[in-house]
Amino acid sequence: MDRLLIIDDDTELCELLSARLSGEGFEIEAVHEGTHGLERALSRKHSLVVLDLMLPGMSGLEVLRRLRQQSPIPVLVLTARGEDVDRILGLEIGADDYLPKPFNARELIARIRAILRRTAVTGTHPLTVGDMRLDPAAREARMHGRLISLTSVEFALLEMLLQRAGRIVTRDELTETVLGRKLGPFDRVIDVHMSNIRKKLGASQGVERIKSIRGSGYLFVVRAKPK
Amino acid sequence: MQSLFLKIFFWFWATALVTGIALVITFIFGPGRVPSRWHSSLTDTARSSGMIALAELERGGVPAASSYIESFERDTQLRACLFEFSGNRVAGNGCETFADMRDHAATSRSSEFGVKYGLVRVALVLPGSGGHDYIFATELPAGPRAAFGMDMAAVVLRFAVALLVSGFICYLLTLYLTGPILRLRQAAQQLAGGMLSTRAAASIERRGDELGALGRDFNTMAARIEELVLRQRQLIFDVSHELRSPLARLNVALDLARGGNAGNLPFDHMELDLARLDEMIGRLLTIAKLDTAAMPVEMRPLNITSLVGQIVSDAGFEARKRNVVVNIAGEEQNYVRGNEALLLSAIENVVRNAILYTAAASSVDVSLGQGTKSKVLLVIRDHGRGVPESDLQKIFQPFYRVAEARDRESGGVGLGLAIADRVVRIHGGTIRAENVQPAGLKIIIEIPTAEFTSIV
Repeated sequence: MDRLLIIDDDTELCELLSARLSGEGFEIEAVHEGTHGLERALSRKHSLVVLDLMLPGMSGLEVLRRLRQQSPIPVLVLTARGEDVDRILGLEIGADDYLPKPFNARELIARIRAILRRTAVTGTHPLTVGDMRLDPAAREARMHGRLISLTSVEFALLEMLLQRAGRIVTRDELTETVLGRKLGPFDRVIDVHMSNIRKKLGASQGVERIKSIRGSGYLFVVRAKPK
Repeated sequence: MQSLFLKIFFWFWATALVTGIALVITFIFGPGRVPSRWHSSLTDTARSSGMIALAELERGGVPAASSYIESFERDTQLRACLFEFSGNRVAGNGCETFADMRDHAATSRSSEFGVKYGLVRVALVLPGSGGHDYIFATELPAGPRAAFGMDMAAVVLRFAVALLVSGFICYLLTLYLTGPILRLRQAAQQLAGGMLSTRAAASIERRGDELGALGRDFNTMAARIEELVLRQRQLIFDVSHELRSPLARLNVALDLARGGNAGNLPFDHMELDLARLDEMIGRLLTIAKLDTAAMPVEMRPLNITSLVGQIVSDAGFEARKRNVVVNIAGEEQNYVRGNEALLLSAIENVVRNAILYTAAASSVDVSLGQGTKSKVLLVIRDHGRGVPESDLQKIFQPFYRVAEARDRESGGVGLGLAIADRVVRIHGGTIRAENVQPAGLKIIIEIPTAEFTSIV
């Protein structure tokens, strides 16, 4: 059974979510305050964190920032503000997906499932493209043998790109497979994740490893090995 | 002297005056030459008067000459003087004015011509019968053409001077009057375009005239509009945010209810949230009305002591639930002029708030009495945790919450104090919050007293 941690100051919402999610086979722990929430999130006892960005005490973004310094645990962010800035910022800091309040409970469950599915062990064969090596079993990404820290969604996205290295993977495919939903009209989640991955990988011989194909998707560049 | 009316009046007057003075000055000191074609006739006219004066002198001596010249001056209003060739005055008054011409005529031994004060002046040598020569100098009327200049250049010059002087002054005046109006207009356009922080320039505000007053009024208006719009904008932003929490809960509760195995739990939550939404909307409408002040508030003298007493006894039920005692102090009857329904809801909000936030099994102390400057002083004190010192002002803003979780447990929607603040201000009073030692919050309300005699 997957244990979920919900960090939200709305106690009644937490109560309702616990009732709803336990019916779906999840075990819920609810914390109503940021500092304690961060402590619990770092306890390694949960498989996913649902985090409200509007929290008394330590703000949700701050919780996320500190969490990401130490843990790759999947985080789904809830925002009550209508501001795009917050969710983009949340994603840049390392959230895996976001859901604006008020949300539909089934939507929340679907997204939680999608993230958990992707972060479960996916393949067994290590993938090697150029100097990049991905080991799905160990959930390790290495470049020149150096370990790169990726969040679980970033790992899943990179894995998809490597599996089809040199070919375009569309944004629809990436959204559907990794986030478990259809690509929305103004959905920038994949792009923010891609930009985060790029920053972590850096360029190879002066060229971005991940190429963005305008209007269609992303492609992992394969260099011809010098003979 | 600061009114625009006087400014325009005096500026125009000054323009007319200065133009006139400039004309007179050029007229007096302008070029004074007499065209030579007039010389012979002018000489003839002067000579005939001069010959008579000389004949009178030779016939009856100086008195006769003087009386002739005096009668000449009286008849024609023109000056005339008779000199000896050596320069000594024989007859006539104010002869120094001719001194220059006399000396020139003496040296050249011919007629001298000049123009001064619009009159032609002639000096000529007259041979006396005794071998003595005399000099006769006189003014002669020369007609408007002589007065205003005999040549085109002089006419053009004078006209140009008048044009330039009046034009320059009028230009300055127009600039002075229309400049601020144009700038004010620009500011109005910017304001209309949505730049709510636009204000009229400080230079306009400083003016002491009607334009300055207009500028200050404009700025007051702009500030008021900006405040209202910003407050409404903030309120809408807050409302949309606040609505999402109950909606999020309703959404989840609905989904839970659909599942069918959660019993009454989701329905209880839904009922509670719907009641909250209803209350929030009602209170928001109250705030919107109070903010715009579009609704005229009916004010009557009322006994605030009995009003507070009623609120305290009504709040007893909630107080007992939390095991809280509400004490009330202040025996004398106090009266204010106000709207009973609004004051009731305002004070009730404050009292209920205090009951919600005071520590369990503690008390809420309400005291009512005479404050300073004929105001009724109402103090409501709780024994709760108080408010961070920096937030003491903010608690009167809509949706302010010291700690969100705490407030939701207690069931408030964060609008009670915002309503109280607006109501008290409509009554010309003030409301503020203070932390009390060792623990607790004091809300202090002051409302102007009504004259007791106006009651009954």
